[in-house]
Amino acid sequence: MNVFRFIQQNHGQVLELTLEHLRLVGFSTLFAMLIGIPLGIVIAHRPGFNKPVLASANIIQTIPSLALFGFLLPVPWLGERADRLAILALTLYALLPIIRNTYTGIRGVDPAVVEAGRGMGLTESQLLFKVELPLAVSVILSGVRVAVVISVGLATIAAAIGAGGLGELIFRGLAMVDDSVILAGAIPAAILALVADFGVGRLERRLLPR
Amino acid sequence: MQPAAASPVIEFRDVSYRVAGTEVLSGFNLQVQSGETLVLLGRSGSGKTTSLKLVNRLLSPTSGEIRVKGVSNGKRDVIRLRRSIGYVIQDVGLFPHFTVERNISLVPRVEGWPEDRVRARVQELLQTVGLAPETASRYPHQLSGGQRQRVGVARALAADPEILLMDEPFGAIDPLTRDELQREFLLLQQRLHKTVVFVTHDLREALRLGSRIALMEAGRLVTVLPPREFLRSNDPLAAAYVRAFGDGRESAANRGMS
Amino acid sequence: MRVPQSRLCVLVFAAVVSLLPSCSPSHHDRIVVGSKNFTESFLLGEIVAQQIEAHTNLKVERHFYLAGTYICQQAILAGRIDVYPEYTGTALTAILKQNASGDKQDIYRRVKSEYERRFGLTLGPAFGFNDTFAMEIRGEDARRLNITTLSQATAFAPRWRAGFGYEFMERPDGYRGLAATYGLRFADQPRIMDLGLLARALKEHQIDLAAGNTTDGLIPALDLFVLEDDRHYFPPYEAVPVMRQQTIQQHPEVAQVVAELAGKISDQEMQRLNYAVDGQHRDAKEVVHEFLKSKRLLQ
Repeated sequence: MNVFRFIQQNHGQVLELTLEHLRLVGFSTLFAMLIGIPLGIVIAHRPGFNKPVLASANIIQTIPSLALFGFLLPVPWLGERADRLAILALTLYALLPIIRNTYTGIRGVDPAVVEAGRGMGLTESQLLFKVELPLAVSVILSGVRVAVVISVGLATIAAAIGAGGLGELIFRGLAMVDDSVILAGAIPAAILALVADFGVGRLERRLLPR
Repeated sequence: MQPAAASPVIEFRDVSYRVAGTEVLSGFNLQVQSGETLVLLGRSGSGKTTSLKLVNRLLSPTSGEIRVKGVSNGKRDVIRLRRSIGYVIQDVGLFPHFTVERNISLVPRVEGWPEDRVRARVQELLQTVGLAPETASRYPHQLSGGQRQRVGVARALAADPEILLMDEPFGAIDPLTRDELQREFLLLQQRLHKTVVFVTHDLREALRLGSRIALMEAGRLVTVLPPREFLRSNDPLAAAYVRAFGDGRESAANRGMS
Repeated sequence: MRVPQSRLCVLVFAAVVSLLPSCSPSHHDRIVVGSKNFTESFLLGEIVAQQIEAHTNLKVERHFYLAGTYICQQAILAGRIDVYPEYTGTALTAILKQNASGDKQDIYRRVKSEYERRFGLTLGPAFGFNDTFAMEIRGEDARRLNITTLSQATAFAPRWRAGFGYEFMERPDGYRGLAATYGLRFADQPRIMDLGLLARALKEHQIDLAAGNTTDGLIPALDLFVLEDDRHYFPPYEAVPVMRQQTIQQHPEVAQVVAELAGKISDQEMQRLNYAVDGQHRDAKEVVHEFLKSKRLLQ
C-alpha cells in the first residue's frame, strides 16, 4: 500500500508531526484539567453557579472549531504563534466534558456519605480529598477521556491555521490530491484517538469505586 | 425523677430554625443531662432531625442558642465540636472506598493517633459492637445492613466522644436485627454511659431505649417525660401515640416495667 | 504508609499527561523545504531543494502545498520547515503588517532586518524576478499602437473593455488605486471574471486589458504583453528565500548554496517554468532539473 511506503520513507516527518500533535493535545488537556476540575468542584458545592458555568462551556462547544480558530487569529500575542492559539482553543473545547463530569461525579457521591463525613468533623478539604474526589475520580476520568478524544480530532483541524500536527499531512495531501499523504496523517491520528480512548478507559475501570 | 444535674451536657435555649419561609423549629427549649438517652419522638416534619443537626452544627439556628458542655455552639470551632460528638445516621454513610478499619479509624487518624493505638482501638470497637475481628479488612458492600450499622456505631464511638447523636439509626434494618441492635445498644449504654440524643418515630423504640422521651410536633416541643409517665400521660398527642402503637405496654414490659 | 494502587495509577497518568507537552520535535539531520500551494511557489521550493541536495551532504525533505502565507510563517517559526520561498511585498504587508512604500531595495532591506529582529529568520538574496500585478494587453495591440507603459495606455483606455478578478476589483490597493494613479477610464465598468479565464478572454477579444501576474506562464504562450508600471503603483513582490537563522548556524552551507541562486531567474524565465508545468503538464522535478542544468548550477 502506498501509504505505508510513504510513512516508511518519511518516518522522521510522521514521527515529528505525531509528537507535535501529542504536544497540542497534552498541553490543552492538562490546562483543561487544571481549570475544569476545580471549577467543577466549585459548582458541585455551590449549585447557584452551575447553570451559568455549564451554559458557558456549552456555548463554547457549539462554536465551530475552525470559526473559533479564525476569531482568535487577530488577537495580538495569540495570533503570532499558531500553536499557542490552537492550545487555547483546544483547552476551551476540552472544558465542557471535564467540568460537567467533575460536577456529576461529585454530585453523584452518596449524600449520606457526605453527611456522615461532615458530621464526623472532617474539614471541607478533608471531605473533598479523602471522600468526594476518590469516589468521583472514575467519572471525572471519563470526562477527561472524552476531552482527549475530542482534542485529538480537533488538533487535526488546527493544522489549517498552521499549528502543525498530523493535520498538516492531511491538508497538504488534500492540496496535492495525494491519498498516501492524506492517510499518512489520518491513520496515525485515528490510532492516537483510539489508544487514548482505550488507555484512559482502562484507568477509569480500575478506579471505579466498589 | 432524676436528680437535678450539675449542668446539662446539651442545652437548647429558645431555638428557632426557619428555612424558605417555614418555621421548622420554634421556641425550642430542652436540656439533656449527662449519661441519659434522650429520645426525640415525633412524626416526619416534626423537627426532630433538625434539632439533632443543630447540636453538631450541621445546621445553624435562625435564633436562639445551643450550648454543648456549657459552651455556645456559635463560639466554638465547628470541627472540634463535631469531632467530640459521635454521629450515626439511618443510611449509615460508610465510605465505600475504605475498609471497615479505615472507616472506623478515620477521625482518630485525622487527629493524629499513632498507628498501633488506632489498630488496637479498631479491634476493641469491633468487639464492642459484636463484629468478628476479620471484619476489619472487609469493604462495606460486602456487609449486611445490620453489620454496616454496627460499623457506623463503632465509627461514631472511635474517638470516645461523650455525646452520641443518632438519627433513626435502626430505621432501615429488618425487625429481627433491629431488635438485636436495640438490645445491644442498651447493654452498651449501661457500660459506657454516653449522653445520647436518639431520634425516632417509633414509640416502641422510644419506650425501650429512652430514659426520657421528648415528644415533638410541628416544630414544637409538646412534652418531655420518662417512659412510664409517657404511657400514663393525659397529653392528647402522647395519648394518641400510645393508642397508635397499641402494644406500647409490651415494649415497656421488655424493659422490666409493668 | 502503603500507597493505594489507584492513587499510584492517577499519579502516573498525571505525570504522563504533564510530560507530553515537552515532546518538542526537531530534525537536526534534515533540511525541510516548504512552499505554498501554487505552481510558482513549489517550483521555487523544488529549485531550492535540488540545489541543496546537489551541493551539500544534507538530506532534503519537501513539505510543499502548505495552504498559504500564514501557514508557512507558522511552520517556519515552529521549526517544522527550514526554508521557503516568499515575496517581499507579501512579507511586508501580510506578516509585518506595514504599508508598502519605497522601491524594491528599500522593501527588501526592511523585510530582512525586521525578520531578523523579530522572528529569528533571515532572507537570502532575491531569485531575480518580481511577481506582481501585471496589466496585460494583446501582443499585437502593443506592437500596433507602439505602447510599452501604462501611462501610454491611458490614452487608449476609453476604447477598451477591462477584465479583472474579484479580489483585484475589491482591494483598495487594486483597481481603485490604479485608476486614480493613472487616470484610467474605460468604456464600461470592468468585467469581473474568474482568474483562470482572463487570459483566454483577452486572446479572444472579449476584453482588451486584463489584470494578471507578471510571471504568468500564459503570457509568452498566448503572446500577451505586460505594460510597464512606470508610475510604480504596484509594490514590488520580489521572490526571496526565507530561512531560519538557527538552521543557517547549524548548516552554513545551506545559506551559501541558496545564495548561488541569486538573480538567476528572470521574469521571463519564471513565466516559462510556470507554463511548462501548468500549460504543458510536464513533471515539476524534471523541469527544475533541466533549468538548473541550463544555468550551470548542476552538472
